[in-house]
Amino acid sequence: MPDYDFDAIVIGSGISGGWAAKELCEKGLKVLMLDRGRMVEHKKDYTTEFKGPWQLPYRGTLPPGEVARDYFLAKWGGAANTDRNHFYNNDRLNPFDYAGSTPFRWVRPNQVGGKSLIWGRVSLRWSQIDFDANRKDGHGVPWPIGYDELAPWYSYVEKFAGIAGGREGLAQLPDGEFQPPHAMNVAEIWVKERLEQALPDRKLIHTRCANMTEDKPEQGRTRCQKRNQCARGCSFGAYFSTQSSTLPAARKTGNLTLLSDKVVTALDYDPATKRITGVRTIDANTMEAKAYTSRIVFLCASAMASVQILLNSRLPGSDRSFANSSGSLGCYIMDHAMRTFFWGTVPAGELDQYVEYGRRPTGVYIPKFRNLNGQDADTDFVRGYGMQGGASRHAVDPDGFGASMKEGLRKYGPWTIEFNVFAECLPYKDNTLSLHPSKTDRFGMPLIVFDVGFRENEARMMVDAARQGEIMMRAAGLVDVGSRQDEHVPGDAIHEMGGACMGDDPGASVVNRWSQAHDAANLFVTDGSHMSSTNCVNPSLTFMALTARAADHAVQLAKEHVI
Amino acid sequence: MPMPDRRDLLAGAGLFFGASLSPPLARALAAADNQGGFTASHAVFNDAQRALVTAISDRILPATDTPGAVAAGVPAFIEMMQADWYSPGDRMDFLAGLAALDDFALKEDGKLFAALAVEQQDKVLTTAMHGMMPGLASGFFNHCRQLVMLGYYTSEIGCKQERVYLPVPGRYDGAYPYAQVGRIFAS
Repeated sequence: MPDYDFDAIVIGSGISGGWAAKELCEKGLKVLMLDRGRMVEHKKDYTTEFKGPWQLPYRGTLPPGEVARDYFLAKWGGAANTDRNHFYNNDRLNPFDYAGSTPFRWVRPNQVGGKSLIWGRVSLRWSQIDFDANRKDGHGVPWPIGYDELAPWYSYVEKFAGIAGGREGLAQLPDGEFQPPHAMNVAEIWVKERLEQALPDRKLIHTRCANMTEDKPEQGRTRCQKRNQCARGCSFGAYFSTQSSTLPAARKTGNLTLLSDKVVTALDYDPATKRITGVRTIDANTMEAKAYTSRIVFLCASAMASVQILLNSRLPGSDRSFANSSGSLGCYIMDHAMRTFFWGTVPAGELDQYVEYGRRPTGVYIPKFRNLNGQDADTDFVRGYGMQGGASRHAVDPDGFGASMKEGLRKYGPWTIEFNVFAECLPYKDNTLSLHPSKTDRFGMPLIVFDVGFRENEARMMVDAARQGEIMMRAAGLVDVGSRQDEHVPGDAIHEMGGACMGDDPGASVVNRWSQAHDAANLFVTDGSHMSSTNCVNPSLTFMALTARAADHAVQLAKEHVI
Repeated sequence: MPMPDRRDLLAGAGLFFGASLSPPLARALAAADNQGGFTASHAVFNDAQRALVTAISDRILPATDTPGAVAAGVPAFIEMMQADWYSPGDRMDFLAGLAALDDFALKEDGKLFAALAVEQQDKVLTTAMHGMMPGLASGFFNHCRQLVMLGYYTSEIGCKQERVYLPVPGRYDGAYPYAQVGRIFAS
């Protein structure tokens, strides 16, 4: 038996990596977790938390010149705000490329904890409809697993993470292990009642999210305090993040070694044994190169970065990645289509006497209603979309200036409700991520070249979503109804997925039903890269469930001496 | 006497030691200098321009039963934004707008804007608001108005005295009677 540095190495410390580290540590493995970003400790390093607007640089908005220089991509994820820009990648220092003229907005974090500190926290299960989709309509690699196999793992991660939501009994959006939901406001209840009465196949429900409504004293976490400043980090630990949840659990075992500022460039591979034999790193500060060895490797570097690492892990004497015997590595790159909005206003009436006290971290959700039972007669696309929104009131800007304007700005305008659509993006084999043949970054990594675009199905879905949105707003009795479709560029949703898809066929997919690489038995890829389709729901909860399941399987295989 | 803050001390060290500043101190100084966005890193306005921006701020959001824009530090906020947030082109446009406003006041009323009685100041601003001021870019008034509003409603006075500030609400009520607050909650 070779002498390893660690039992397992986890590459990446975001939502997936944090779960992998927790599970493997708790099962008794000595684990090394690596992250390319800087260290951020829970509470201590949430430097903008508890600050009022007057205590934030530039009152909250970075100078446009600095955004254009350093955050021209990360701005699409919120990095133009001075309460959180320190949690984002500097785009100038971390370049990538596009093929042709199709842009890709790759929004990356820059710290231990990854995007778990800045995510939107919407936590929705997939249904059997979604696992069936690729097989049924013939797009992408058929999913080798179904809902029943993942359901217990959804339950497992939900109980630990703390998900607030309501039980609805919807086939397309299975219920989970929920804490009580974050309450709807009076306007959302008003819209829900009228919408569901007018259009019984539409539901307006509480958004299910990883912001707790009950304490978890066993984890030292306190329920949401309704600040809605999650992206600054939360010392209450009210929302699930690596820092608040999985990292403390992993550390508690005494089995975790965590190294920040370690850029993984490649995996060493032995073609004879078909195993990963080492993980190559470069220190982001000292540029020192160092390789670590382990029996098991979990690759959770974020979807696009994991594919980049795999592509850069070449067979000896070859340009070809060890993980690409299928020829599908780097194919089927996806991201949810978004930036279609619709809205309406509650007519003047009794609701005008109410306002919101406190700031919820979430809102309401209209689950997928298109093509649920085969193809709807009136759709010209396959699959569907969900809608995230919420109702609120804001001060209305009166005309003029002076004392009358100041007095006018003390009054709230009407209740308005607005939604943003998230639509499924089909897996297209020729939506690809490849490595640049000559350009490299400051660590010597070949640059990613994106060649990814949305197509007819996504465009048709968004047209339908805007139309259906307006129909629903009017049916609910709202006035001043409207919709808007902004340009949507892949990457915008920060739900990038694919590139190392899961499938039973080693000739068509990169990992098997256990998230285990077909080409390397001791390698597990459990982040967004191994998703074979996107569904239309926010993906992180599914990454958590798949990661916990894969960790359990990996340890079982190790015990049986299979790996 | 107020305590000098760390930034002032470090800046003093930088002046005193110059190029011979020890590397750790130099790094600390650089870090403190990167903490922009609170006070202007250099003066943008001369005294007349500063007086003009102060007078405009006061008329757009005057003191009423709560303090106004001047008490809330809006003029200094605007100078910081001009110095460190605006692009040079946008800054030139803003300064040109200020000059046009003072030219108009001088021509119509024989005094610089800041020296006029408040009724005359309001008349000048109303002319600007309606886009009737020769030589003034059409968007200038609205631009000024938005800057003053941004500075005021994000200031400590704006959040805590003019609005109702709940840093840690602790609970959410989606049907809270407006009559119980009578104001806007600061976010």
